Amino acid sequence: MKQDSIITKITKNTYLRFVLFGLIISMIPVLTGGGILKTSWLGIIGGTIIYTIAALGLNLLLGYSGLISLGTAGFMGLGAYISAYVTGNLGLPWEVGILAAVIIPVIFGILIGLASLRMEGLYLGIVTLCVAEVLRKTFDELEPLTGGFSGKSAEYPTLLGIFKLNQGTTFVLLCVVLVLMMILTYHLANGQLGRALNAMRGSNVAAQAMGVSLLKYRLIAFALATGYASLAGALYAHFVKFVYPSTWNLPLSLVILAIVVIGGLRSIYGTFIGALIVYALPDLVLKRIPIIGDINGLSYVFSGVLIILVVLFYPGGCVKVFSDVKLLLQKLFKRKVKKNV
Amino acid sequence: MSEQAILTPSLNENEILRVENLSMHFGGLKAVEKLSFSINEHEIFGLIGPNGAGKTTVFNCITQFYKPSEGRVLFLTKQGLTENLVGQKVHNIIRKGLVRTFQNVELVSELSLLDNVLVGGHIDFKSSGFSQALRLPKARKEEKAMREKAERVLNFMGIDHMKDALAGGQPYGVRKKVEMARTLMCEPKLIILDEPAAGLNDVETQQLAETIREVRDTYNCTILLVEHDMRLVMGICDRICAISFGKFLACDTPERIQRNSLVQEAYLGEKEG
Amino acid sequence: MSTFLQLFLRSFETGAIYALATLGIIIVFRTNLVINFAQGVMGMFGAYIVTIIFMKTGMPLLLAILLGIVAAICIGIIVDFVVIRRTKKVGGSGKEIITLGMMMVFLGIAPMVFGVDPLRLPKIIETGAFTLDKANLSYNSLLNIVIGLSLTIGLFLLLQKTKLGLAIRTTASNERTARMLGIPTKKVTLFAWAFAMVLGTLSGVLIAPSTSVTVNLMDSIQVNAFIACVLGGFQTFYGPVIGAYILAIANNLLSYYVSSVWGTQILYLLVIIFIVIKPVGLIGKRVVKKV
Repeated sequence: MKQDSIITKITKNTYLRFVLFGLIISMIPVLTGGGILKTSWLGIIGGTIIYTIAALGLNLLLGYSGLISLGTAGFMGLGAYISAYVTGNLGLPWEVGILAAVIIPVIFGILIGLASLRMEGLYLGIVTLCVAEVLRKTFDELEPLTGGFSGKSAEYPTLLGIFKLNQGTTFVLLCVVLVLMMILTYHLANGQLGRALNAMRGSNVAAQAMGVSLLKYRLIAFALATGYASLAGALYAHFVKFVYPSTWNLPLSLVILAIVVIGGLRSIYGTFIGALIVYALPDLVLKRIPIIGDINGLSYVFSGVLIILVVLFYPGGCVKVFSDVKLLLQKLFKRKVKKNV
Repeated sequence: MSEQAILTPSLNENEILRVENLSMHFGGLKAVEKLSFSINEHEIFGLIGPNGAGKTTVFNCITQFYKPSEGRVLFLTKQGLTENLVGQKVHNIIRKGLVRTFQNVELVSELSLLDNVLVGGHIDFKSSGFSQALRLPKARKEEKAMREKAERVLNFMGIDHMKDALAGGQPYGVRKKVEMARTLMCEPKLIILDEPAAGLNDVETQQLAETIREVRDTYNCTILLVEHDMRLVMGICDRICAISFGKFLACDTPERIQRNSLVQEAYLGEKEG
Repeated sequence: MSTFLQLFLRSFETGAIYALATLGIIIVFRTNLVINFAQGVMGMFGAYIVTIIFMKTGMPLLLAILLGIVAAICIGIIVDFVVIRRTKKVGGSGKEIITLGMMMVFLGIAPMVFGVDPLRLPKIIETGAFTLDKANLSYNSLLNIVIGLSLTIGLFLLLQKTKLGLAIRTTASNERTARMLGIPTKKVTLFAWAFAMVLGTLSGVLIAPSTSVTVNLMDSIQVNAFIACVLGGFQTFYGPVIGAYILAIANNLLSYYVSSVWGTQILYLLVIIFIVIKPVGLIGKRVVKKV
């Protein structure tokens, strides 16, 4: 019997796959430092990672529970401002900042969920739209806390009070957090929670008959989505080092939604692919193309059209391209083998 | 008699479910009108009636998908208590030991057969969300044990060889079996089958009859069968309750129900002469 | 007293404009069973078209508006043909996601075609007002109220008294049955989308003079239109309209008497609390799901 090569062994184990993935992308600071990649790549891929984290949460909500939230950007902003405030104004350690940045919005999210999730799932979309509006206005108005429209600054994280990070090492931290969140999502999605959410999406009545409380699980899904988004926002604050209120608007929520849909609902790697396509691709490729690259709003049109195409014709999302290509190759290979025999 | 005795619901010796004066009004429409019947433990009990008789409404009222306008539904729960199901939350009914199937076979297409059956075990998961999120050893053990249980149930239904196949592409007969398997995960005391013979041919209906008997015998439970197919009902039911226009007609053994003039009238119309 | 009256009159104008946008959402919802999240940006797009026509050709404003309406109808038809027709098989929130995709497309095309600078669109009636017990109401505001009210009433008359209206109501009640009864449901949905586009454009055109024509023109109207639908209940056509007026009045009253900065936030909070108490909305009827 043929022995599995090391690569095969690694790629078969889910955890090792995630770690390998993380290791690969954390190589980027090395590549940009050594001049192999342009330095702008660091910021763009860093942004991609941050968006992926927020999108993973939305994927749990939309992909598994089938609920739409248009408040992702608002919660990201909330996390960003809280972390910046706690570390900046209150001078507390970075770890406390992150905890606060996740816990406070989640509590807020649960309250909102309690109000809106007792009704039709579609109402959540509208309620989150309102909440996002309220948050956006609050970020503008609450100057003493948020610095108003001139923004709020933050620093690179200092781990355990000792290790001061720079842009490159903060990027590595982002990679670590991403891998951890991917593993967390994997656990949640493939266990009791994931099945309950799937059941809710597949059939409300069957889920209820099997003991799944719709309200409880919708609430959990929404709380998780909020937590992921606010974590992403907090990381944003410490990577980009500046938080403006105008960033956290509806188009950003739409971008995160586009990432989930285009990358692949219910797919973890798909979410990262979606972020690459929706966020990184326009910055890295489209904007470099002469003439077309200068057109404002092109990336929105690109993403919007992709969303429509994916939903109508290719619901599996871009991540499905890989498995479809694999199937196609297998079919072709089988045909070749048949011919030779 | 003390006040307590009047307030506490009680069932007779052998009864597991008693429907008392059940009424369901949709606005002005009286879908079910003061219906009463009871089911004994380990019976295979049938609920029949012509189209539009209100069978589905009755059992939606029992399972609390509809809130009845009037009446009580007394049930001898898994925990040994007698409770009135009316007013309970839908998702709590299964915890009492009462499960149901759906005429439309509501499975999750994107999940495997095994995962679909695992949904039926939802209420038996004891490990916290926290330990599941971190896949702590306790959670891992529980997941493994539940998966094995689900496999056993699929094996009982004869379809464990396809446990990893997606539910979406499966033929109707297989999906019905998965749904039945799903109800067995929680070791129910009462299973309500919603038109299980719908869409099955003669051979499949025969197999279904055998399966129902096997389930009742192996799992030591009671079965309430809401059904149109007379052969199935007359063939396996110990007792049958017939209703028409939401009202009680008769409750008796199959032979006597068949001879009951009210029942015949309801199905065939007024007798000539 | 006069301040109150003034506020009330202004709110009525805002309410009339909100009502137009709200009708756009509810007519699409009742016939297609989808919440069109792109309603606002579609209206913004139409308003831009009117503005560009007005600025570039110098023709009278009313004519530009008319042409804009024609363009809006065309765009609505295109949207129906290219996208909506194919969504029959899409399940779950897929349809809403498609409208969100459309929203992104319109948000992207607008700066591409119309540029990023804010534009100005004048009022239909530039000057003149009449007073009512020291409260001022400009002729333009009165016109807006009249337009809003007459379109709302006109739509109701259409729905109740005409064959098309009957077709719409039947499709809204149950699309499948309507089709089986021989009602041209495809034409009904086409009409719904075209009409929604027109309503969106009109509300954009009416609100534009008090702000400037930018990508964010319809932002607040859009949010308020959705809340009006939630408040009034999605089950009827008139519920959301009532909701729109209530929202406009409450918003102005809260902003003036309570807090100009936090007034809107407080209003949204009150709406959320109301919805918790009565999830079906003001007029909504409880729909018992068939199991």
